[in-house]
Amino acid sequence: MKRRINLSYYLITFILVCFIAIPLIPLVIFSFSYGWKWPDLFPDQISLDAWAYVFDFGSKTWNSIMTSLKIAVTVTLINLFLALPAANILGRMDFKGKWLLEGLFYAPIIVPAFVSVMGIHMTFIQMGITDTLLGVILAHIIPTLPYMIRALVISYNTIGYIWEEQGKVLGASSFQCFFYIILPFILPGIIAGCSLSILVSLNQYIITFLIGGGQVMTLPLVMFPFISGGDPVIGSVLSLVFMIMAGGALLVMDVLLKKYYVRNVTLHFS
Amino acid sequence: MSFIRLNGVEKEYKTKRKQTDKRQRFCIRSIDLSIKKGEFFTLLGPSGCGKTTILKLVAGLLRPDRGDICIENKEVTRVPPEQRGVSMVFQEALLFPHMTVGENISFGLKMKKINKRERTERANDFLKLVGLEGMNLAYPSQLSGGQKQRVSLARALVTKPEILLMDEPFSALDPGTREEMRRLLKKLHRELDITILFVTHDREEAFELSDRVAVLKNGKILEVGMPKDLYERTDTVDVAEFLGLRNIYYGIVYEQKFSCDAFQLQLLNYEAIDVTKGWLVIRPETLSIQKDNINTETNSQYLQGTMMDISYKGSFYNLNVQVGNENLYIIQDTGTEFTFVKGGIVWIGIDSTKLHFIKEI
Repeated sequence: MKRRINLSYYLITFILVCFIAIPLIPLVIFSFSYGWKWPDLFPDQISLDAWAYVFDFGSKTWNSIMTSLKIAVTVTLINLFLALPAANILGRMDFKGKWLLEGLFYAPIIVPAFVSVMGIHMTFIQMGITDTLLGVILAHIIPTLPYMIRALVISYNTIGYIWEEQGKVLGASSFQCFFYIILPFILPGIIAGCSLSILVSLNQYIITFLIGGGQVMTLPLVMFPFISGGDPVIGSVLSLVFMIMAGGALLVMDVLLKKYYVRNVTLHFS
Repeated sequence: MSFIRLNGVEKEYKTKRKQTDKRQRFCIRSIDLSIKKGEFFTLLGPSGCGKTTILKLVAGLLRPDRGDICIENKEVTRVPPEQRGVSMVFQEALLFPHMTVGENISFGLKMKKINKRERTERANDFLKLVGLEGMNLAYPSQLSGGQKQRVSLARALVTKPEILLMDEPFSALDPGTREEMRRLLKKLHRELDITILFVTHDREEAFELSDRVAVLKNGKILEVGMPKDLYERTDTVDVAEFLGLRNIYYGIVYEQKFSCDAFQLQLLNYEAIDVTKGWLVIRPETLSIQKDNINTETNSQYLQGTMMDISYKGSFYNLNVQVGNENLYIIQDTGTEFTFVKGGIVWIGIDSTKLHFIKEI
């Protein structure tokens, strides 16, 4: 019986890996080709031209990666700062009109962010922060904040007030309670929220394009013209770069957060 | 001189029960309490009577609507819990799961910014005191229920608080462990010279541990006193009922004689000039089944009844005898050479000095 479970486990894993990996293989091959035309089974020429072009010294790629990451990290930090108090209340307190507030906070998940950004665009023009990094960062908060709040609300939901009460009667101030007791409890939620926030921010195209006005070049903005017909070889290189960037960002964040709370928190929850 | 004092404290609050999703309103009404230094004081009452609320008010986790709370002659009504110098142990151990036992115990010291060496030292001392020496590197998930509560106790005591508040700390433990924990707590109370305010709904626990007990019902204190006084000479019929005294009979007293529908008894320690209405309380262990109706002692009087129910409890019998239309519960030593028959006629010997009359107000 146990063997069979093992077998099916490996089978499912194998199938899933195939689903994820197989579409990537042509992408990788494509990126090293010099144009891969039908009906060739393999490209007739292998070339590093596309990679060289993308990472050419002084190219836009490095700058756009840095811009993308800068925006994503800043947005995530702001989100964390905004979402912690909100989730604290939404996750643990009952009050009149809570559903309305929750609905407002989660609305950007359902309503396309584009809708609200159209309005914000006008305001930003008046304030003079269109075409700036600040403007893009502020605009990115709209589609990302709901995910952060959602993840933290669920974390707060499960802990109640009893742990803080215990902390306080042992002499911990409110800040100490939060830092030493609550934070480790909600760390899984923070990791989930931050991951979503970073990914959603990295993926933004329309909002960045609208508010940034082509002055703030993130990786999706650089990538788009190549994919939509410019040069699919360079497009595929950029796609791979994007994947590495997103995966790397998540990995770094995960490691940093867990390193700070040295022990593997989730492991010792009773 | 009182160490902890509550003056006319009132608090109303709502709770939402998770299971039923029904809102419940609780309130405590004009509570006056005064607890001496070094005393083991227990709040005893059924669930929902507000005893935990009082504890939380003393801890500072709740603020009273009216009235004030003093600790060591200082008003602390508006002082936050972390500055009151009180520690509290809850029903569950609530050990922080991401910290080792050692770190859990030294948490309070860490909050006081005491250096690490002293923290470890004192944590180890207290771990030894609660009988868990060498467990400081274990994680809470590796401990049993009793061990967790021991660590929780050590964690509360390590900062050397003047006052320890305990909210039904042993009710979630199995009976054997509970006994052990009570002994430990008694020992710690003696050794550390600490004032303990304890909450329980278990009267045996309250009697065994406490110097004084306050009996609560519906957010009100019914009576405060030493366990023996409360059990033998309470002033309120509610207290007698809650303390498990089942032989309570309503009737009148006139000229040292109590009469109710079922029987008449001589009262030696209560004298009423006028006809007084009230309750007679007969403790079940003061009654004894007699072999024959032989009147030897002058203090004794006898009632005849029919044996209705016999249950064997090991060292004693629980008997239920019907006298007239009333039932008498009797606790009888199993050491005596009696064989009881259900439906048989028995004589009950009553010690008149041990009868207690509560006047109706």
